[in-house]
Amino acid sequence: MKGLKSRQLPLTIGLILATIFVVLPLGSAAEFSLREPLKNTHGFDNYVWFFEAPDFAKYLGISFGLALASALILLVILVPTVVWLNLGGSKFRGLVEFISLLPLVIPVVALAIGAQTALPDFAQTNEVILAFMYAVLAVPYAYRTMDTGLRSIPLQTIVEAARGLGADWLAVLFKVIIPVIRSTVLSALFMTLALSLGEFTITSLLHWDTFTTWVTTMSQSNILGAIALSVFSLVSVFVLLLVISVFIKPTKSLIISEEN
Amino acid sequence: MNLKRIVAVAAASAIALSAAVAISTPSQAAVNYCKATDLKTAGGMDALVKAAKKEGALNVITLPRDWANYGEAMDLFSKAFGIKINDDNPDGSSAYEIQTIKTAPAAKQPDVVDIGVSALNGVIGAGSDKIFADYKVANFAAIPSKWKSESGSWYGDYNGIIGIAYDASVTPAPTKIADLANAAYKGQVALTGDPTAGQEPFMAVYAAAIAKGGSLDNVQPGIDFFKSLKASGNFTATKATPENYIAGAYKVSLTWNFNAPGAIAGAKAAGKNLKFVIPSDAVIAGTPYIQAINAKAPHCAAARLWEEFLYSENKGKTSTQLTPADLKLTGSKLFNTIEGGQNVFVSGGATPILQADMTKKKTLINGPDGFDVPKGAKVYQPSPDQQVAGKTLVSAQWPTL
Amino acid sequence: MTTPEVTNLDRKGAPIWGTLIGQLLKALLALAPLLVFMSIFFFAPLTAVVLDSFQGNDGNFTWANYADVFKEPIITAMRTSLALALVSAIVSAIPGAVLAFLIESRGSDRLRQVVASISGVLANTGGVPLAFMFIASLGAEGAATSLLKAIGLDIYSAGFSLFTFGGLVLVYTYFQIPMMVIVFSPAIHGLRKEWNEAARTLGASGRQFWFSVGIPLLFPSFLSALLLLFASAFSAYATARAMTNGTIALVPLMIGNLLDGNVIFDEVNLAKALAVAMIVVTLLAMVPYLIIQRRAQRWQG
Repeated sequence: MKGLKSRQLPLTIGLILATIFVVLPLGSAAEFSLREPLKNTHGFDNYVWFFEAPDFAKYLGISFGLALASALILLVILVPTVVWLNLGGSKFRGLVEFISLLPLVIPVVALAIGAQTALPDFAQTNEVILAFMYAVLAVPYAYRTMDTGLRSIPLQTIVEAARGLGADWLAVLFKVIIPVIRSTVLSALFMTLALSLGEFTITSLLHWDTFTTWVTTMSQSNILGAIALSVFSLVSVFVLLLVISVFIKPTKSLIISEEN
Repeated sequence: MNLKRIVAVAAASAIALSAAVAISTPSQAAVNYCKATDLKTAGGMDALVKAAKKEGALNVITLPRDWANYGEAMDLFSKAFGIKINDDNPDGSSAYEIQTIKTAPAAKQPDVVDIGVSALNGVIGAGSDKIFADYKVANFAAIPSKWKSESGSWYGDYNGIIGIAYDASVTPAPTKIADLANAAYKGQVALTGDPTAGQEPFMAVYAAAIAKGGSLDNVQPGIDFFKSLKASGNFTATKATPENYIAGAYKVSLTWNFNAPGAIAGAKAAGKNLKFVIPSDAVIAGTPYIQAINAKAPHCAAARLWEEFLYSENKGKTSTQLTPADLKLTGSKLFNTIEGGQNVFVSGGATPILQADMTKKKTLINGPDGFDVPKGAKVYQPSPDQQVAGKTLVSAQWPTL
Repeated sequence: MTTPEVTNLDRKGAPIWGTLIGQLLKALLALAPLLVFMSIFFFAPLTAVVLDSFQGNDGNFTWANYADVFKEPIITAMRTSLALALVSAIVSAIPGAVLAFLIESRGSDRLRQVVASISGVLANTGGVPLAFMFIASLGAEGAATSLLKAIGLDIYSAGFSLFTFGGLVLVYTYFQIPMMVIVFSPAIHGLRKEWNEAARTLGASGRQFWFSVGIPLLFPSFLSALLLLFASAFSAYATARAMTNGTIALVPLMIGNLLDGNVIFDEVNLAKALAVAMIVVTLLAMVPYLIIQRRAQRWQG
């Protein structure tokens, strides 16, 4: 018992520190959002204000749809790529790493200006373009996460074993690879969802209206309401991701340190 | 005998028919509003209002509600004429407006723009594509010739004066730019942004220059003043936004007078008491902002009606004062009932471009209380050319202040 | 991981896929989805930016924009941006890695799920909301500031300020550390227990295992994550813009001022040259990274 407790102590300390670090700024902002100066009290008036705003649900829906689309796009494009890289294409790893890092290096405002000039009109008049642009912005994180995850498992070994037992590539992909990398892929998808739901620069520079631009417009008329909106955005995405994750069983960690 | 009768009836019918056609044709001759260059070629105010109502929408761009009371202008226009206003990126910059006109697909083009004077560089004049449509509003002649194009492609609409916005709890209350160096304001003085990026803080540097013995051609004393404020700890690098003010990150800032009424109202709603004063040691007036109609405007009639509205000198009803009976009036009558855009700017604290004409005609309403320029103070207005030298100095020295 | 030897022979007996061209073709095919996607939605816009960076205001070809990159105040901004990126990356990578390790190795599955969700959200905070959160807590009248004052720690009289280089590093940790946790956790996740067991069987203590096996194994992934944090801090725009008024020289801020501002309208192509310069700098930063990675890869065999 003592061994267990002392093992958990560093984790507990770490979690407490992390929680303080996360909650302090968020909590301070939340306190502002709950102020009701005209009634000299605290309450949820500022939250009710935007919940009852006519287009609230509409823009939330638009952002959510785009976020899902971008996550799907990344899933389809990156998973095969990362799997291939780790199975036999490791020579090209450096190149792919550089390519995947590029969207992160160029400031979004410059990318958006480039997109305005380079993308043809028909692309800019279809809102789906945003899903692709969000996916581009998420590539660095999603790729890095997936690649790190795949690298650390004996992919070559298990794939060869499966093939040796007679499985075809599709079965290998769905029955062997994906279950093993499920939580890694999920992490990457969460990043993508959160990124898409909070993206503002490209959305506004390409003249679209999503939840984030709606927030900016609404924020003009009500300072405390604006603060409430940003707190809501953060907390709601967290809740959303948590709900999604509850439906997906996590894969067991391959590391044990019970004897540590 | 029968044949003669038939021919006579036929002839009479033909004449009657062609007469009827002749009478009805003039009203079917469609006016191309995109080519209308003034109210006359647009067919008069009644026709313009009718056409605008039919279009049903107006695309504006980068118009914040609290900026020179644009919120009221948009509400009034929208309510009176039943035209929906779409505001693209209210917090956007003039560069964004020009970039949008140049690159956005047809559906996303703005109808009208409100840009800084310097943004005109490179988009007007010889050698550049004509991106604005010529249109001379009814009061075009009254606009000072310095601030309009001869052909009517662009024209100034209002300008502002730099003042000090401060929290009521600040003691002593500042009245001059030079006061900002007072040790009592340690960590409390802020600008609304980067002078390399925003007109408002850029003009604030000019205000400091004038207050500290510089001139419109020599902005260095202004930069030096902010440098000394930073060294003494008075100047905080936080941005003077309403949210940061509520959080107490700063207490004193330099802003446009036409941003102050909205800021004061917003602060009050959030439980704080904000005050505003024009400094007595430097009265800096900005160059007028520029209105223009986009040559690619999707709603040509609405765009022209909007411009007529913005340049109207009427003393009339505001959006909250309009009655359903008013809304049933015909075009020109309704137009004359509502408050003109120039007066809406005044209610927002701005100086309308037609101020001289309105003073003469006694149609100018009173602006907000406490926003008066100190008596006898000299008003400085840096010209676009003078600003070029200032920009070079500021952009070179500000990042290493 | 070594490339498996594939030796499909054609009728004449010469290997097809084994040839260099064959390998390249195979790679192209496998990378096609990624390449096509990136070409349309990233490289096309990037090309527009690069082409414009070589244009003067008169439309003629010029190197002048790139010459300006080496002049003040841009060169100072470049130095400050690099310093900020490096410091922020290191300051965030270490706590992030430690936290990731603790959670992955000792946390329950549910905990890991919760951490993944909240890290995803926090890693994407930035701009005005993040700036406000810090001003509300650590600003001059912030909640945390008042709390510390109550227990006798007046950080502001000690000279603390959010709006300095150090303040920015602090604010950046709010999204950098969660990013580290997300990106580095998979590496720890995959650390095989067999190795730990094998090391134990051979008589190694926990510490020895970590120093000789665990850490060297994790090092390449740590470095990749570090590079990601570096790039993220290097190009961070919205947060820096919300926190400062330009008195800290940073390249993304300059790019924003010139592309999307209200004062300077005739230096758009200079801004684009700056963006390209940032990419070049990152490329240069990747060189030592790739060298170290190659060396470390030998450990993994």
